[in-house]
Amino acid sequence: MSETTSKSAKQCPMAFDHHGEHHSRHWPEVYGELRETCPRPWVDQYDGFWVATKYSDIQNISQRTDVISSVKSADPDTGTETGGVTIPTLQGARSILNELDSPEWDSVRGFMTRRFSPKAANNLKARTEQLTNMLIDDVIETGRLDFVEDLTNPLPAIVTVEILGFPIDEWKAFSDPIHLFVSLPRDDPRLAEAAAGILRFRERVDEEIALRREQPRDDLLSYFAHGTIDGSPLSDDLIQDLAWQIMSGGVDTTGSVAANALLYLGRNAEQRRWLRENRQHLPRACEEFVRYFTPIQGAGRTLKHDAEIDGWQLSQGDRLLLAYASANRDPAIFDDPEEVKLDRTPNRHIGYGVGQHRCLGAFMARMMFQCMLDVVLRRIPDYEIDESGVAGYPSVGFVNGLVHVPATFTPGSVQADEGA
Amino acid sequence: MRVRIKEDSCQGHAMCALTCPEVFQTNEDTGHAFVVSEFVAPEVESRVLIARDSCPEEAIEVF
Repeated sequence: MSETTSKSAKQCPMAFDHHGEHHSRHWPEVYGELRETCPRPWVDQYDGFWVATKYSDIQNISQRTDVISSVKSADPDTGTETGGVTIPTLQGARSILNELDSPEWDSVRGFMTRRFSPKAANNLKARTEQLTNMLIDDVIETGRLDFVEDLTNPLPAIVTVEILGFPIDEWKAFSDPIHLFVSLPRDDPRLAEAAAGILRFRERVDEEIALRREQPRDDLLSYFAHGTIDGSPLSDDLIQDLAWQIMSGGVDTTGSVAANALLYLGRNAEQRRWLRENRQHLPRACEEFVRYFTPIQGAGRTLKHDAEIDGWQLSQGDRLLLAYASANRDPAIFDDPEEVKLDRTPNRHIGYGVGQHRCLGAFMARMMFQCMLDVVLRRIPDYEIDESGVAGYPSVGFVNGLVHVPATFTPGSVQADEGA
Repeated sequence: MRVRIKEDSCQGHAMCALTCPEVFQTNEDTGHAFVVSEFVAPEVESRVLIARDSCPEEAIEVF
């Protein structure tokens, strides 16, 4: 069927750096060209890795947990970490759920799933609406806001710290290092500052866990402090890793797609009007934005042993980038993939991943994303983007996010009691 | 028309429930999908097919 692909037989015809500045501005074209000319490139950057750009390849490979691994492991002598779900491997920040394979994954995922169920997301809806309205109240009389700073960064971060059980005024101290950590080019000196912020977060987890062991509350940290996995209490390290997974998963992803969606709707007045008038399509529109912008642009895997997948010869130890962003624009699956169709049906996007590691927080993400769009469309429907101030992440290799989306609008009035 | 979910394949994307909630729902605790009735009423058959094509895991079987 498909021709055999191996390192010696096929090389990448173009330079590829998913963390580069060119990629951050032109990734749809880069992936479009790769899908057509070289859909399974080998890239020498970051110690070498394959890129899967076609939807069908990514779907097939994701099912092959017999040959692919998500695990990150540390060299016992040097402490240097290899493997894991990012390319290059992020040092010092293990994503405990994403970076586990079965059978360990099943136990931890089972422990976490019930706290991120559709029911749990639904229970947080009224509070999320209240917080969103409070954030809009803070700016509505001024007629000006920065969607990122005033809404899409704070809302998911505040909801996430509340779920965990931290005081909500700590949201910024936790979320700023995460934005830096994922958005900077991999050689930026400020990465050290971000790493220090993550260490502080872990220390705060330890402090709060000590309090929860004494006096449990109704929050996720108490659930960690008093819970068991396979009959054993959770170690301090595991708790820190889980808290980090929730914080990092909650902060950058939902906010990024919401900011991109608000920017898009600001630039496309006709579609914004349609969505305001057809509010019942909001959930479907949000799925389309997740497809189109793909906040988590890809995930890394490592070959456990030599394997051939649909004619693709892969060797033990090979690193592989599953480019979800490319799959979500694959014309073999989606009609007019480069267009936003707010009521796209069917929409089998893999913006939440595919296979075993489907995003744990997907139901929370949808709830928050829909809430932010709904409140904005209702309360500041006539906003206009200040294009001169729009700025994206320098690197979208991990997360397709924005730094600033300033806008102006007709001032309105505070309505803090509108919550639920 | 009949429909079923391959439970080993379903990962809880919930795209089927978004597309045809009369037939597909998500378990409130796990997020995984289930069918309300295996036998599909003629008036929703076309949307069941769209729901099948909406599943990233190809977990929906129509027979």
